[in-house]
Amino acid sequence: MKLKAITAGLLAAAMLTACGANDQPTAQGGSVKPGGTLYLLADSPSVNWDPAKSSNLVITTLSFVHRRLTSWNVAPGKDTTIVPDLATDTGRPSDGGKTWTFTLKDNLKYNDGTPIKSADVKWGLERSFAPAFSGGLAYHKDLLSPGLAYKGPFDGKELDTIQTPDDKTIVFHLARPYGDWNWIASTPAFAPVPKGKGAEADYGNHPVTSGPYQLDKYERGKEARLGRNKFWDKATDDTRRAQADNVVFQLGQDTSVIAKRLIDNSGDDQSAFGVPFTSAAQLAQIQGSASAKARLTTSESGALAYLSLNTQRGKLTDPKVRQAFQYAVDKAAYQVASAGSAQLAGDVATTLITPGIAGREQFDLYQAPPSGDPEKAKQLLAAAGLPNGLDGLVLATHNENGFPEKAAAIQAALARANIKVTIKPLDEDTYTSEVDTKGLSDFDLTLTSWQPDFPSANSNIQPLFQSTEIGNGGVNESRYHNADVDKLITEAQATVDPAEAGRKWAELDKKILTDSPVVPLIYTRNSFLHGSKVGDVEIGKFPAYVDYRKFGLIQ
Amino acid sequence: MRTARFVLTRFAGMLLVLLIVTFITFVVFYLMPSDPARLACGRPCSPENLALAREFMGFDRPWYLQFTDFLGGIFAGRTFGTGAAAIHCPAPCFGYDFQNSIAVLPEIGGRIEVSFSVALGAAVIWLVTGVGLGVLSALRRGTALDRITMAGAMAGVSMPAYLAGMIGITIFAFALDMVPKNGYVPIGQSVGQWAWHLVLPWFVLAFLHAAIYARLTRGQMLETLGEDFIRTARAKGLTETKVVGKHALRNVLLPVVTVFGVDLGALLAGTVITERIFGMAGVGKLLVDGIASMNLPVLLGVTLFSALLVTFMNFLVDLGYGALDPRARLI
Repeated sequence: MKLKAITAGLLAAAMLTACGANDQPTAQGGSVKPGGTLYLLADSPSVNWDPAKSSNLVITTLSFVHRRLTSWNVAPGKDTTIVPDLATDTGRPSDGGKTWTFTLKDNLKYNDGTPIKSADVKWGLERSFAPAFSGGLAYHKDLLSPGLAYKGPFDGKELDTIQTPDDKTIVFHLARPYGDWNWIASTPAFAPVPKGKGAEADYGNHPVTSGPYQLDKYERGKEARLGRNKFWDKATDDTRRAQADNVVFQLGQDTSVIAKRLIDNSGDDQSAFGVPFTSAAQLAQIQGSASAKARLTTSESGALAYLSLNTQRGKLTDPKVRQAFQYAVDKAAYQVASAGSAQLAGDVATTLITPGIAGREQFDLYQAPPSGDPEKAKQLLAAAGLPNGLDGLVLATHNENGFPEKAAAIQAALARANIKVTIKPLDEDTYTSEVDTKGLSDFDLTLTSWQPDFPSANSNIQPLFQSTEIGNGGVNESRYHNADVDKLITEAQATVDPAEAGRKWAELDKKILTDSPVVPLIYTRNSFLHGSKVGDVEIGKFPAYVDYRKFGLIQ
Repeated sequence: MRTARFVLTRFAGMLLVLLIVTFITFVVFYLMPSDPARLACGRPCSPENLALAREFMGFDRPWYLQFTDFLGGIFAGRTFGTGAAAIHCPAPCFGYDFQNSIAVLPEIGGRIEVSFSVALGAAVIWLVTGVGLGVLSALRRGTALDRITMAGAMAGVSMPAYLAGMIGITIFAFALDMVPKNGYVPIGQSVGQWAWHLVLPWFVLAFLHAAIYARLTRGQMLETLGEDFIRTARAKGLTETKVVGKHALRNVLLPVVTVFGVDLGALLAGTVITERIFGMAGVGKLLVDGIASMNLPVLLGVTLFSALLVTFMNFLVDLGYGALDPRARLI
């Protein structure tokens, strides 16, 4: 989720008081009714409709066409929960969480009228192992085939860790117990692909669909047109309202022009939703238009922006020195640097687990005012043998989306506690290769953000703090290596009971922050703009994206 | 015979330039810190998956072998992977876009119509207005017309393309609602709608480019009008129209043609900003998107295509020079 999360960094949120997530229809006298054509204005030139190659969230674009075994129930003000989609329930674990069994609902059909079978779900997953179709979310891969020994079904081999005893049942035999397997079952690769189909590289341009729509036309860089899948049965689908008759994606649009069109709100653009985040500059423009302001939807929470401290470098190896950073930063200044104000930027963060994730506990181990406590930081540094502070630290960050400005705010705040930092803004590729790929990074600090790929604290914590995620493209940027934490992460992952797992993750949240490998800054808000005829625009507590499944047109 | 040799040497030079461009582009891309396989690795990206993706795309081989693989693909085509899911890129294969599952050549081919439509229409407008205004300014030197034209030219030369586009779209598409806000209609579908959707991009691009031509033409015209042969022509009793239109303009056009050839060549390969603002899926947009997603095969393909057009236009300019000025043929 890194790239999206990074882009999210700039985003400011709307000023629609504390919670702008529930948008009221602005058209007079109208209400949302089935029918009509919904337009989605996107800046990205293409959509990967191939479930194996997609990293789409279960609530956005691909939800129109592909169903998965499970799905998410998201609602404003509520924690996100797991719900069945193609399956009758959210999976039945056995063997201590090593074996998971799902049963498909009755009367499930593809858009060509053929029935959806359990073997198709298996085939879709097998397909995702073929090198030609890799690139999507891959959380399932190592659990089904450790070390990726399996190379896909196209040379005639089956993946024997997935069994389909009959057309309705699918059983997963995992390499180790995994409590979040039912969350993983909501990722794109769990969408069915008719067994034997999809060998062609461009399958994504004409996928067989299981969702309420089918892909009628797809021109990369231009548009995608979705029409109704007449074999989709609403009775089998609790999460999708599928209110519009047609959905049209206008692709490859300039973000400034998208914002202009939506503010202008004329013609078809009244029925349009802007896919990209509204930038700080656009938000300022929107504040000047009452009509546009009413059509802005803002998340309550979002990606965790954080400062990571390289636990394997110099004085930063000392936890006491790292703890000083918790007091030295100025989170209020960070909010202003992000979006001009605290309300636009998002709430101050003190935990690693983001709001909206079940089991999250709110706590603050390093209590200080939002602008920090530089005196306390100095005391801690002195106690750690650094009465004159720290000098010569290098902070790496991204060279776009306002990160250099935000890094400057951090730099100024740390200077108050005699911590002197040089900023190195890097382009994405350099950042990935220098910060995330090398085993040992040459940087002392990094400034970035993270949004989980699925709504479990597992996805907040494991990628950032397990020692297996150091280097090689992993995002454990603080190079945090704590054998005890590693063990607890594996245990929490293996815990099947969600409440118990939640408790374990919350404990880990505290335990890790006691070591202070990162400084949580804010939970970054996202804002989205839409036309006056688009209704039911809702953002749940997690993720900080609009739930596309609910959209309807005001007629 | 002499003309044939002239054409052949120029053509051989063009091929050599292209080969060098290919090589340099390849090396530059190879030296960049990015790893194209990472994008095909997924998230989380395990080292095993990354290695598989690299091997599949052929990025695990040493760079010089990748270069020969690329050159070989142009003549013999390429196949990535094995078995039922193997990807074939038939000859001439100028690379394969793994992100979008299409060979780069047809990907560019499918977008040429858009880029050519934008560039050619704009070129006609800016050439006519630029040269016309330049000639008029030169003839009415020091008048209000001259000053206004040159001030406008200054604005056009110095304005960033993105700003000009946004101003154009704000005034003519949003405020006045005169022209469509975005999109491209293929000429085969409706000539009227095609032109209607292109009017604004044409004028924006022409505004940016005409300026240089107006200034160039004006300067050249003033210089030429001071030459002896113009005095002679006037002394012969030729009409002013003939003096300017035939004798002077021919000299003025030499540098204009040179600049025009290079400009048009570059524009035909895609008008990056214009296509982006007006939401047109041309080659320029392909390039921007390729940069944004670090799609190296596409970047290499578009760079080559662009180099091909620029060198080809230069080749045409050389030929045109020969026609306009016989002395050029001796070189």
